[in-house]
Formats: sequence, structure tokens, C-alpha cells
Amino acid sequence: MILGDFGTSYCKFLDLANPEAEPTIIATNELPRETRVDLATGHNGKRFATRYVNELIALAKGGETMIEKKDYVLLDCGSRDIKFIKYQNGKLADMGWNAECGASMGFTIELLKRYYELDYTGLQVPGQTFYVTCGVLGMSDIFDAVISGVPVTEAVARFVKGIAINAYRFAGSPARLYLSGGLCDNPLFVGSFPCQVTPLGRFVLLRGLEAEARQTRPQAVC
Amino acid sequence: MAFEPAPLAATLNRCQKIGIIGIPPLAVIRTANEHSLVIHDLDEPLVHEDLETASPFLPRVYCAILRTAVVNALHLELDAIYVDTGPGKCDCALHTATILAEALPIPVICAKNMDASAYGNPLCQAKLSLLTRMIAITAGVKSAALYHDQPPPSAPTAGFWGVPPRDFSILELFPETTHIYGWARCMENKTPADHELEAQFNPEVPTVFFAQSFCAKTALARYLARKHPHALYLDVDVHTTNSARAKVQAFLELSGVKP
Repeated sequence: MILGDFGTSYCKFLDLANPEAEPTIIATNELPRETRVDLATGHNGKRFATRYVNELIALAKGGETMIEKKDYVLLDCGSRDIKFIKYQNGKLADMGWNAECGASMGFTIELLKRYYELDYTGLQVPGQTFYVTCGVLGMSDIFDAVISGVPVTEAVARFVKGIAINAYRFAGSPARLYLSGGLCDNPLFVGSFPCQVTPLGRFVLLRGLEAEARQTRPQAVC
Repeated sequence: MAFEPAPLAATLNRCQKIGIIGIPPLAVIRTANEHSLVIHDLDEPLVHEDLETASPFLPRVYCAILRTAVVNALHLELDAIYVDTGPGKCDCALHTATILAEALPIPVICAKNMDASAYGNPLCQAKLSLLTRMIAITAGVKSAALYHDQPPPSAPTAGFWGVPPRDFSILELFPETTHIYGWARCMENKTPADHELEAQFNPEVPTVFFAQSFCAKTALARYLARKHPHALYLDVDVHTTNSARAKVQAFLELSGVKP
């Protein structure tokens, strides 16, 4: 059974028929149009599979699989949106999905990296931040800061920190959160959260799909 | 605009088709029924016109239901409009009535609904598609008749608290055993200003607290959602977005509510 998480910028796949196989990643704009999977999530997923699991459910089930605690907040920062799941006593307590006002934050971070040819691993978490509620609107702050003499790296770092703080507040300002998504690999972003962060990587939704697939798969009769 | 209602029968005698915004007093509806008038509920999308046609009259960032009411009022040929401007409605409706009264050549009559006779909540507690029940509840504002055929109540497995949404498609996600709370319950009870009834919820079942974006009831919805042990607060503007739909779907499924 092939699982697919079809994101805005990247698609992730896992083949359950091969227990040794690691998840694979492909840029969404390089995805063959004829791609088909058995179970999909992600906002592009419905086009590529007959069975679809919505992203919040995949995130929650991925969290249940990967986090051993009963109380936690799991935040997924994607290219296009941010979403979180909060569990208390092992049960769903709150959730949120911001695809409109918090839009394009991850996408903008990647865009800025290419535009300014930046390496985020070399950027320090800045003392100051921009108040960022949207990736597109937040870019104006960067340009204004650069015009006023702030170095590009500092301006972008403030922007990234602003995005992290906005996502943190969106998730309810927890003392600790688990982070999902490709931005787990961005140390500037991870370090910008004003709380303890445990990065879980970019395959949390795939793990959720895996749990869903194993839960619903017909049991063999011996 | 007449803030003090003119003699009701005299006004309605001259009418064939009236529009209503919110829930005008039963006396208005009863008289309109007696005169066999056609009643258009202007809160619902009735005409195939762009919501933007309301923008010369109301800000774009405004209650989608009142923007819809303005579009309807502009495009339907009505003889009068009755607007509930009592405690069961909102200031936004009052201001909308003021604007419509100047824009339209027909009477726009503000009437404060203080009705307190309870009609009951058979549909809110029945086992039937939530969409079907909400359609029936909203259609019920055009009639003053008592509820005779009452479906039996069901044991609730989920709750929907709030107003009838502008976009009913979100209701399709709920199971048939969803009980209705909030202002929609007040609608069926024909007591739209009953704030005590509006604030009721069932803490035993997972409940979605819904409000239209930019509506004053967003504050109450969020406040009650925080008091409820298992709730999802949700506000939606004109159309149900994919993320709103996914939130409801995930909330119900992860809460163990069976479809």
C-alpha cells in the first residue's frame, strides 16, 4: 500500500509493502501527473488517490503514534498553512487550521531563501521580531527594514522569528510544543519559538496515514 | 423608516410580498399569514446576484447574512420589509434597516421582537439530517402556526450551537443525532431574544460552536466553547472553506462521533 502526503511544495511517500523503506520526497512541481497512491492526505491529495484523509486527522493520528505523552500540543507548519492539535489526558482538546490569515508562511520562508541566497543554518535568532500574521504581508516589513539599513540577514531573521511567534500564539502559547513539517529542518525557525520545541520532522502526516491504514486494513484470517 | 410600527393590518393590507430580516414579532407573521402574503426570508440567499452588489450599502467586511439580506432586498420586488431590531437581533441589523429605508422606495419597518411564548424544540432534538432540520427551522420563521407533527426526540451524540449558517453545506458533516443549540434553537422556539435559552449547551456531547464571521455572536460562541469540556469554536464568512470543513470533520471523528 502506497501512502502519499501531497503538500504545496513537497510530496512525501511511504510504501507499506516494503517495511525497510524510508519515506521519499519529491518537489510538488516535479510530481508526475499520473501518480496514484492508495491513501492520501495534503491539500493536493484528493487528485491522486481514491481514499483521502483530511490533514488534521492525519496530523492527530501521526501525533498519537509519535508522541508518548497524554498532554501535548502538536503544531504543523506547512508551506501554505499552519495547523495544530492539542491533546489533554489522551483526548482531543483543541485544534486549529489557519489556511487564510496565516497563509503562505512556510512558502515565503523558502522564497526568501532563494531570493536572497540565504543559508538559514548560519543565521542567529534575532533579538527583535516583526509582527507577522501572513507571509505575503510580512514581506513588506523585510523590504522596509532593508531600506532603513537593516542587513538582509537580520531582516529575514526577524521575519522568520515573527512567523514562529505567530504560529506559537495560534497554537495557544504552550510551554512546550511538538513541531511537524519541513521547517523542523530550519534551525532559525525552530530556535525562534519562545517555548520548548521538539521537532518531529516532515513525515508526521505520513505516520498518521500509516496508523489509519493499519487501523482500517482487513485482518488476515489464519 | 417607521420605528414605531404603523397599524399592522393597515400596512399589510397594502402588501402582497414582504421581506423579513431576522425574526419579526409573531404578530407580524400571524397577520401576514392571515392576509396570505408571500414572505421572503431575506437572511437566506434567494437571488443569483453577486454579494458585491451589497458593497455600495454595507462594508465588505460585514456580516454575510446582512449583506445577503441587502442583495435580496435590492433585487426582489417587495412591498415592505420588516426587520427585527430587538435584543434577539443586533445593531448591525438596525443600521442595515436605516440604509435600506433610504435606498428603497418601500416601507422598511423596525420591530422589536420580545415574544416569550415558547413553541418548543422538536426539530432541534429530532433524529434527522441536520441540514433538513435547519432548513425546516429557518422556513418556520414564515409561519405562526403551532408545531403539530412533532418528531420524537433522539439521544444526542453531537451538538451544533449557533445561528443557521449562511452556507448550509457545513451541516452535511454532522450525524443525524446532532442536537441544535444556540440561536437556531431560539428560532424554532420563536423566542429569538431568549438569551438564557441561547446560552444553553449539552456538556455531555462534543459540540461545534458556530458563528458567522464579523457577527457579535462570535464572542458568545467562543466564550461558551471555552466553558464546554469538548468543543470546537468555528466562524465562517460567506462560504464554508476547506479548512473549516476539515476542522469539523476532524473534530467529530477524533471525538469518536459516529457518522
